[in-house]
Amino acid sequence: MAQIFPKWTNKLPFILAIGTPFILICIIFLIWWFGSPKYTDVGYQPKQPVPYSHKLHAGDLSIDCRYCHTTVETAAIASLPPTQTCMNCHQLILPESKKLLPIRESWSTGKPLEWVRVHKIPDYAYFNHSAHINAGVGCASCHGNVAEMKVVKLVEPLSMGWCIDCHRNPDQHLRPLSEVTNMKWTPPVNQIELAHQYKIERSIQPSEDCSACHR
Amino acid sequence: MKNLTKQTGKTYWHSLDQLANSDEFKQIVEREFPEGASELNDPVSRRTFLSLMGASVALAGLAGCRRPVEKIIPYVIGQENLVPGIPKFYATTMPLGLENIGVLVENHEGRPTKLEGNPTHPASLGAANSFVQSAILDLYDPDRSQSVLKNGTASNWDNFSAHWRDTYSDFTDSQGEGLAILSEAFASPTLARLKADFIRQFPKARWVTWEPISDEKFYNGVKAATGKIYQPHFQLNEAQVILALDSDFLHTETGAIANTKGFAEGRRVESENDSMNRLYVVEPGFTVTGGMADHRLNLPASQVPAFTLALAHELQNLGLVLPAGIELPVTEFTTDREWIKAVAKDLLAHSGGNLIVAGRRQPAQVHALVLLLNSALGNTGKTIDYCQLKDSELPSTPALTSFVIDMKAGEIDYLVMLGGNPVYNAPADLNFAAALGKVANTVHLSSHVDETSQLANWHIPNTHFLEAWGDATSTEGTRSIIQPQIEPLFGAISAVELLSLLASGKKNNGYDEVQKTWRTILPKANFDKSWRRVLHDGILVSTVKKTTPQISSRRFNNALNTNFKSTPPSITNLEVSLNVSNTSFDGRFSNNGWLQELPDPITKLTWDNAAVINRKTAEALKVTNFDLIEIAVNGRTLLAPVWIMPGQADFTISLALGYGREAAGRIGNGVGVNAYRLRTSDHPYILSEAAITKTNATYELACTQDHHGLDLEKLAADAIQDRLPVLYREATLDEYQQHPNFASEAVEHPPLKSLWDEKVYDEGYQWGMSIDLNTCTGCNACSIACQSENNIPIVGKKEVANGRDMAWIRMDRYFSGPEENPEMVHQPVACQHCENAPCEQVCPVAATVHDAEGLNVMTYNRCVGTRYCANNCPYKVRRFNFFNYTKDTPDIVEMVMNPDVTVRSRGVMEKCSFCIQRISLARIGAKNENCEIRDGEVQSACQQSCPADAIVFGNINDPDSRVSQAKQQNRNYALLGELNTKPRLTYLAKLRNPNPDLVS
Repeated sequence: MAQIFPKWTNKLPFILAIGTPFILICIIFLIWWFGSPKYTDVGYQPKQPVPYSHKLHAGDLSIDCRYCHTTVETAAIASLPPTQTCMNCHQLILPESKKLLPIRESWSTGKPLEWVRVHKIPDYAYFNHSAHINAGVGCASCHGNVAEMKVVKLVEPLSMGWCIDCHRNPDQHLRPLSEVTNMKWTPPVNQIELAHQYKIERSIQPSEDCSACHR
Repeated sequence: MKNLTKQTGKTYWHSLDQLANSDEFKQIVEREFPEGASELNDPVSRRTFLSLMGASVALAGLAGCRRPVEKIIPYVIGQENLVPGIPKFYATTMPLGLENIGVLVENHEGRPTKLEGNPTHPASLGAANSFVQSAILDLYDPDRSQSVLKNGTASNWDNFSAHWRDTYSDFTDSQGEGLAILSEAFASPTLARLKADFIRQFPKARWVTWEPISDEKFYNGVKAATGKIYQPHFQLNEAQVILALDSDFLHTETGAIANTKGFAEGRRVESENDSMNRLYVVEPGFTVTGGMADHRLNLPASQVPAFTLALAHELQNLGLVLPAGIELPVTEFTTDREWIKAVAKDLLAHSGGNLIVAGRRQPAQVHALVLLLNSALGNTGKTIDYCQLKDSELPSTPALTSFVIDMKAGEIDYLVMLGGNPVYNAPADLNFAAALGKVANTVHLSSHVDETSQLANWHIPNTHFLEAWGDATSTEGTRSIIQPQIEPLFGAISAVELLSLLASGKKNNGYDEVQKTWRTILPKANFDKSWRRVLHDGILVSTVKKTTPQISSRRFNNALNTNFKSTPPSITNLEVSLNVSNTSFDGRFSNNGWLQELPDPITKLTWDNAAVINRKTAEALKVTNFDLIEIAVNGRTLLAPVWIMPGQADFTISLALGYGREAAGRIGNGVGVNAYRLRTSDHPYILSEAAITKTNATYELACTQDHHGLDLEKLAADAIQDRLPVLYREATLDEYQQHPNFASEAVEHPPLKSLWDEKVYDEGYQWGMSIDLNTCTGCNACSIACQSENNIPIVGKKEVANGRDMAWIRMDRYFSGPEENPEMVHQPVACQHCENAPCEQVCPVAATVHDAEGLNVMTYNRCVGTRYCANNCPYKVRRFNFFNYTKDTPDIVEMVMNPDVTVRSRGVMEKCSFCIQRISLARIGAKNENCEIRDGEVQSACQQSCPADAIVFGNINDPDSRVSQAKQQNRNYALLGELNTKPRLTYLAKLRNPNPDLVS
């Protein structure tokens, strides 16, 4: 009688006994990790079409955030500057620079630049910049010290848990309105006391309702 | 059937099935969801589904590891005053035949997403109807024509212009001999000027204007009596007694939005001391207007002229003085004497404060007679104003008829059709398609390659009104500009540009042409400033020139010297009355999915029209619902499904026009039956001597009337009738004056106590809504406004038949009274935002919860789709996404989506959110300015659109807000309030104002 099973099948029970739990553990781990708010791409630092340095512009040259992100105080989106804004200076400054070639190309062809989004929240969550800026939450609270970044990097998880943490206790993040774009601001000693005052002045009651962000 | 006879007295019922307590109905009642709504019972798709699931899980695993790269694309040159994410509103005008409706367009970074009424425009007054609301979807219709076609092959605008330049010089030599234009009716200063230019260039050319649905008969009647053409404007708010003769003036007739505003104002009651208007309606089948009637008479449309004459005689007998020399023909109308007497008495008692309105289906002599009666009753200048039409091209069926004869005789060499779709909708006796074949060169301007374009030599794609420059004049003479919101999506050409080319032989820019006209309209000094003012306001403010028509007795007597007699319909002489579709109008909105899926306000049918007959006729003909019958009139036949409705006159068939399109596009093709095929130039609306033969076939109709019904829970069907008067609370004005609290006292229940400590909502904004059932006409404008604002998908006929329609506002329609002539009521039901929400208590994942402002909110990304909430919702207002309805939405249609509202995917529950996106924007805006939201600053989409101003929304924590005031009225009641759900949406009970003389 011929052999029905080849010889390697002798090892099968052993392989299954070791392999099945291993695979199961892997699956559980993958679901647990990728499904959790921990997995949020902190450190994401994609290459941009132009090697624009926030460190140079916002840091060394101290250009205010709102020179480029013009609508941050009035609208949901902070908005990226049109090519025109770059050309305001770069028509005269480094007009021949090789690094700025894509900007000049965009300017002459009328084709917009395509920047890679770094700070992304899901489509079903609606974040509003103006509401936070006018409440005195600094840019750096969510974006980190951009003035030190040569290439912009995601420094906070932007997960729902992270949002809620601040909505429950925003005291450390509320500043005088004049300091909102200051990257080097640190909370003073009496921050808790001041935050309490800001909350009353600006009628800040951070919502913990679903409807605050989801519509 | 036999069960019907047992039930007597005034009870409410939902559908005829329910009234008869049929087996089918019992089956529906016993189900939690409508049949098919809760299971995937197609084995093939289940299998495909499982294999697809396997594949997508595998892909998800891979795709999940990598973050999708998303691009941000800023402008190259900054746009002044444009803030990304904040929509801008521009004023423009939507043309609809001779009617032009002013609108405001919500524009997101150059992408129009929603239309609202323009408060300054006389035809809109800030409100909109379902046609205006859904016009935005037509803009993004992927089935629109994409290029100029020459004999069916792609060409371009330059080729056509070159071709016309050659033709132009030939016709210039012959002064336009053999050249003709067939135009749609329009009211536009620029088109009128270009038409004059064209006629000047080609004096021998023919110009014919025709429209399938128009007020032609009205104009004929007025002209016959006075020698001139006038346009009426009703001041319905001033009218205490209104008589509508076969007129749906609240929904499908000209000026319906403004009419509804005025009517609602005269109907609105704030306390038992207020008075309200009284509406009499005479019509063959229910219309939206008929539903609002205090007294409604079922009368075949062909009998209305005789009825009107009898009424005129009665008024004369009661002492109404007609102008000298007027002689009324003898009346032979003997039925409904009581009714006529009571109406005549009531009209006379309110001389100068009443109004008689006749519908566009009625022949000219009725309109002449109504003009006379309104004038004799002292209404002219009080409840009705007349003015002369400006810049208008009026339709004429006799002109079309003689023109088609000439076409067939080969006298026309070159025909340009400016819009319209005559091959589909021209009177059947003309056989327009054959006549078109006799013309050597035909050009058709049309948004789609429709039935007419397919037979024309040249097809030129027409722009949507949001894409091109134009102008318009409202029926009362207010001029406005049509300003484009977006570049033509498919390179289309506007009527202005085409007509300009035809008249001048040169390609001219639409903008220049419109400005050229307006340079003569606006003052020369400061033209740019006044032009920008008109663009900004949406209208050129001008005084309306009112005139009083002078009735010539000689002309009038001649006009009435026609036959007022007609034999009443019988089983051997059925009468077909064709009506304008509540959803596709004359067929121009056929390819609009929102409208096709919108349940008809009366029949509650979606995706179809049907031959509507009453039960008596059906029993006589031995047909029943879904039977396919053949209607034969004058040798023409049409197959149509039967739909039995109460309130239809005996032996009459109501059939909606605008269906049965063959080349409308993917949505509209083959939907319903084409009633135009029965229509003749002599009898466009009312066809007598019809016969019906039953075929053995049946036809599936998707009707929503028993879907998601409040009365469909596990109750014995008998108990339903006891319950309906509690759901819909109604009284007569008299009863209301005697029992001002009838609405709140309608239900007796033990003290309401909760099982747990209830949360008190008394801080900050607390949102609430009030709907006045007394002014709501059931027109469905709110439902479509909601669909547009909240990205609600359409699901198709099959899914609607399965009970999976997604509309967040369900318009419940109930009948009460005897089946032969019942009363009809409408109740819009959206999420009630209960403070003790039953849905929240059963959600296992807390996807639906309450927020601090008292809203019942739905978090889509948390929902796992158990549907427990829908089971536990006593109002049945939750909708489940059984499929990923938006997955296959073409990119172009995605442009209509509101960016401020999440697009839902498969497997999540959704429902009315009280337009939370609008609340959020207002709240953030107010906070940024460190102030409070003012009353009226947040308007829900349904409220903004409602022509009757029946919906009020606002902060109930502010005792002075309009919504708080409304809720303090004694007619206020909560739907199923006895369940202690504490809904935030409450209703104001309906009132009727019957004539004591007619109440037996």
